[in-house]
Amino acid sequence: MWRRPEWRLLAALLSAALLLVPGRAMPQLEPPELSHRLTPLATPEVAGGFVLEDMDGEQHALQDYRGKVVLINFWATWCPPCVREMPSLERLYQELSDEPFVVLAVNQWENADHVFAFMGQIDVFPSFPILFDPDSEVSEAFGVKGLPTSFLLDRSGRVVYRAVGGREFDHPEILQQIRALLDE
Amino acid sequence: MASVLETSVWRRLVLCLVLVGGFSGAGGEVVHRLNSETGLSSWKAQHEGFSLELIQVLPDYVRAVYASRGLPAEVIERVAGYCVFGTIVRNESDAPLAWRLADWRYIAADGHERRLKPKSEWVREWRELGVAFRWTLLADDQVYEVGDWGQGFITLKLPPGEVFDLHYSWSQHDKTYRGIISQARCAPVDVAAP
Repeated sequence: MWRRPEWRLLAALLSAALLLVPGRAMPQLEPPELSHRLTPLATPEVAGGFVLEDMDGEQHALQDYRGKVVLINFWATWCPPCVREMPSLERLYQELSDEPFVVLAVNQWENADHVFAFMGQIDVFPSFPILFDPDSEVSEAFGVKGLPTSFLLDRSGRVVYRAVGGREFDHPEILQQIRALLDE
Repeated sequence: MASVLETSVWRRLVLCLVLVGGFSGAGGEVVHRLNSETGLSSWKAQHEGFSLELIQVLPDYVRAVYASRGLPAEVIERVAGYCVFGTIVRNESDAPLAWRLADWRYIAADGHERRLKPKSEWVREWRELGVAFRWTLLADDQVYEVGDWGQGFITLKLPPGEVFDLHYSWSQHDKTYRGIISQARCAPVDVAAP
């Protein structure tokens, strides 16, 4: 009901305007230091499948990435730690560009217009796929309670690590965890 | 009435002790900061292995956040009518911990203990209004593994500028820990008119 085209445009405009609100109106939601540890799950299970569209309307099925290590990052533009960890996700993606590894940034509730407007405001434009989960069905299936939340899947599609809250994804500790999965 | 007065007097006595000691709750230190650029306050309670930070959020900022999500005016105004804080909760220990918003309480000037309106109630209300949005608010409860943390809005049914004490808790190793952020204050309507 509230996702008609005019709302998409209005949302994009308001989002851009929000980024330009004078400092005094903005709460200081600057988060503390990002963590750099992923939690291993006691009983890894194969992740539920999904098919989501990217910024260009192309469809991505999780199943298509079987055989790769997949980092699924649930995020939104309004979420400060999501924004803060985004450059480290890009650095990680670049660092492992020659490896069977992919980052899927699954945006919550927003749309391509909104995210595109937002991307113009940050330093790093991600080169990994940004997917849209407009009704939060996928995040719900993954049991996400807050943003950002990330899951690391091994090459068999099993969820082996989880991270609640922002991370410095190119930190050596996390790189080591991912490389170990790539070597399996 | 008498019990309310007693509660209030007792609360003030405890508060005086807290202020003198500079500490609050179960061994935690609470630091209040005033951001000179924004004019807004924040309170950070630091315990061993656990921290909780409350950051004032202006009603107009709340409106902007929800309007930019394309939510209807009714949803926006209902939330903006609450005292909203940006909240950051962190597990800084070397073991998992859990917290539950339903266990937290706040006490304002009238001395009554009240619970915070949980995310699940907001989401249910929004659903009844035909809106499937479920973000921006702090979760009802979470288990944080080592290094996990999160943030989101919490909502208190208090007017702008109202002072209150927040009683919060978390659990770890089957033990419940408690803390108090005393004399926190809801954001004013505008920073120019506190």
